Amino acid sequence: MLPKLAWLLVALAGAAAWGVLALHRGETVSAAWLVLAAVGTYLIGFRFYSRFLAEQVFGLNDRRATPAERLTNGRDFVPTTRWVLFGHHFAAIAGAGPLVGPVLAAQFGYLPGTIWIVFGVVFAGAVQDFIILFGSMRRDGKSLGQMAKEETGAVTGVLAMLAVLAIMVILLAVLALVVVNALKDSPWGVFAILCTIPIAVLMGFWMKVWRPGHTLEASAAGVVLLIASLIGGRYVAESATLAPLFTWSGLTLAYAVIGYGFVASVLPVWMLLCPRDYLSTFMKVGTILLLAFGILLVLPPLRMPAVTRFVDGTGPIFAGKLFPFVFITIACGAISGFHALVASGTTPKMLTRESDARLIGYGGMLMESFVAVMAMCAAALLDPGVYFAINAPLATLGGTAASAAEVIRGWGFTLTPEQITGLARAVGEQTLLGRAGGAPSLAVGMAHILSGAFGQSLMALWYHFAIMFEALFILTTVDTGTRVGRFMLQEVVGHLWEPLGRTSWYPSTILASAAVVAGWGYFLVQGVMDPLGGINSLWPLFGISNQLLAAVALCVGTTILIKGGKGRYAWVTLVPLAWVLLVTLTAGWQKVFADDPRLGFLAHAAVTADQIATGAMDPARGARLIFNDRLDAVLAITFMVVTVLVVAASAREWVLVLTRRKPATVKEAPFVETAYAG
Amino acid sequence: MPGDRARLLQRIISAVRAVAGMPDYQAYVAHLRRCHPERPVPSERLFYDEFVKRRYGDGPTRCC
Repeated sequence: MLPKLAWLLVALAGAAAWGVLALHRGETVSAAWLVLAAVGTYLIGFRFYSRFLAEQVFGLNDRRATPAERLTNGRDFVPTTRWVLFGHHFAAIAGAGPLVGPVLAAQFGYLPGTIWIVFGVVFAGAVQDFIILFGSMRRDGKSLGQMAKEETGAVTGVLAMLAVLAIMVILLAVLALVVVNALKDSPWGVFAILCTIPIAVLMGFWMKVWRPGHTLEASAAGVVLLIASLIGGRYVAESATLAPLFTWSGLTLAYAVIGYGFVASVLPVWMLLCPRDYLSTFMKVGTILLLAFGILLVLPPLRMPAVTRFVDGTGPIFAGKLFPFVFITIACGAISGFHALVASGTTPKMLTRESDARLIGYGGMLMESFVAVMAMCAAALLDPGVYFAINAPLATLGGTAASAAEVIRGWGFTLTPEQITGLARAVGEQTLLGRAGGAPSLAVGMAHILSGAFGQSLMALWYHFAIMFEALFILTTVDTGTRVGRFMLQEVVGHLWEPLGRTSWYPSTILASAAVVAGWGYFLVQGVMDPLGGINSLWPLFGISNQLLAAVALCVGTTILIKGGKGRYAWVTLVPLAWVLLVTLTAGWQKVFADDPRLGFLAHAAVTADQIATGAMDPARGARLIFNDRLDAVLAITFMVVTVLVVAASAREWVLVLTRRKPATVKEAPFVETAYAG
Repeated sequence: MPGDRARLLQRIISAVRAVAGMPDYQAYVAHLRRCHPERPVPSERLFYDEFVKRRYGDGPTRCC
């Protein structure tokens, strides 16, 4: 009786918090309501929905030995305590995505994004992660691509592979663009990030050559050096001789990131990639805990309105109406197809008991969603005027604080030029104007929270701490992603000419790395030069591609359910699949064919062609813009076609099984009784 | 008890390592002794090299 009463209280508290958020009309509302609404909903979702999934739908069975038990080898198949594995899984799925998306989506106000983050995760994102983890656990830890191939046929498998490669290119380009926008003309930030490279190399030699295997010791030293270089960055920024050396333009930074990606992909892993991975994991987990602590301590008032006027599609950061674009802009945090790759990677090989998959698959994703809610809080606590000054493209704002304040007042927000220059000075930057991409406004928000919690005088240090932390793990995604892309490319071209497929053959490695880097590097450079700010075209493409991968994962999940004789429960994946398809295809269609030149790629190409014809645009620059518009359009159409093909191939399979023209058998590993005590 | 405290510290260290996805040489040696006593035990350096190779050999390990 008592537990029932407690759950009723949780439900009522969550519902009351949603009520406050929805009905509040006034100056500000405390972030406490946002946190309470989210946490209340997560608890109810975890306690009831994930239990229903675990017991009724998947039939998790603790008498069945997991791959970690049956195939234990002390290396990758290792039974792991569930809270430790929860931490491991969370560190692997959470990255820049859940931090950047909500900040950009705050353009619509805090409420629409928060509703999608919280309810999206309970009914879609966490279900996807859970079912893929479950499927992979029952198949000895097979990858998403292998499961797609075995359960729905070779065509789906190949399409899934291609989808992953395409997503990787867009993902790396857009994340690199976020870093470039955060670091351009910022000597403090550039210095700190450059220092991470020698620090990582030092750690690499420490762990491999000087004291083999002492990974924790080397990482601790790395973290200390990182903080030291962050503090040192202030002196670099204030020094008249050093500051110009580290003041880089957007384009210079873009080429530097491209060069870095190439070198990291070609060098031995132990030297750069692996130590950076450890460094960024510790920084990530540490900073997220710090941020959660800070938000709970400060409970800042949210100055952003619940809903802004930009739901009509005229927003300066990215074009497009609330539907479907809030669901595309926030991918990670609500549903992220990319997780399907991690949930079918190392984690399923480490589960001790089948029932642990519920906490780790479903619960881990709830935790990432909470990170997204915190990012939303950090963006919404800023004055809306300041938020738009940081995130709107420079071309819209004009180059000066006075012109920016003028434009933003025109949108109905209050902002004085002194406010924006004063803030830039407070965080130790020349300017904060036009830094689209989410990272700088998140850093300003985090600096507010952390200096509120731990002392006001350190605002500039906290700002650069936040910038460094984001740039650090974005660059870690860039280097690991480039490497993964290189392997996939080598596998594909290896079918054409065998030596190219050898991952240890140096010419092949160099060629494949260069090809992958050139792929995302091209989009990055065009994004930096884009007059609309790059994020406007690249972020929606990333969102669409990530949701497309989610659709593939949900198709695989549905197939697993139907073939496993659980067809009556297939709605648990079919409903989110239908929703993801609806938003992805609508958004993709609008990005390609909308008449508004800010929204539609083809309309923008047409307007540019007119400008060239009337002499308003330099022909060479115009031709480049038109080419990019068409390339983006082709990409969006390709994503949509691949999605439709995968869904069609899967649906055919479902119909065959449900009408008994094909046997309902799954390719699970056979049942083995566990040796663990019950 | 100093022994208890040392054991607790060991457990915390191995948990932190596992969260970051770091290799655990001691656990591997214990596994070899238990399950495959006939196999030679690799040096810590060799173990680390192979671990890194396997971990970054295929598939993404990190999300966006």
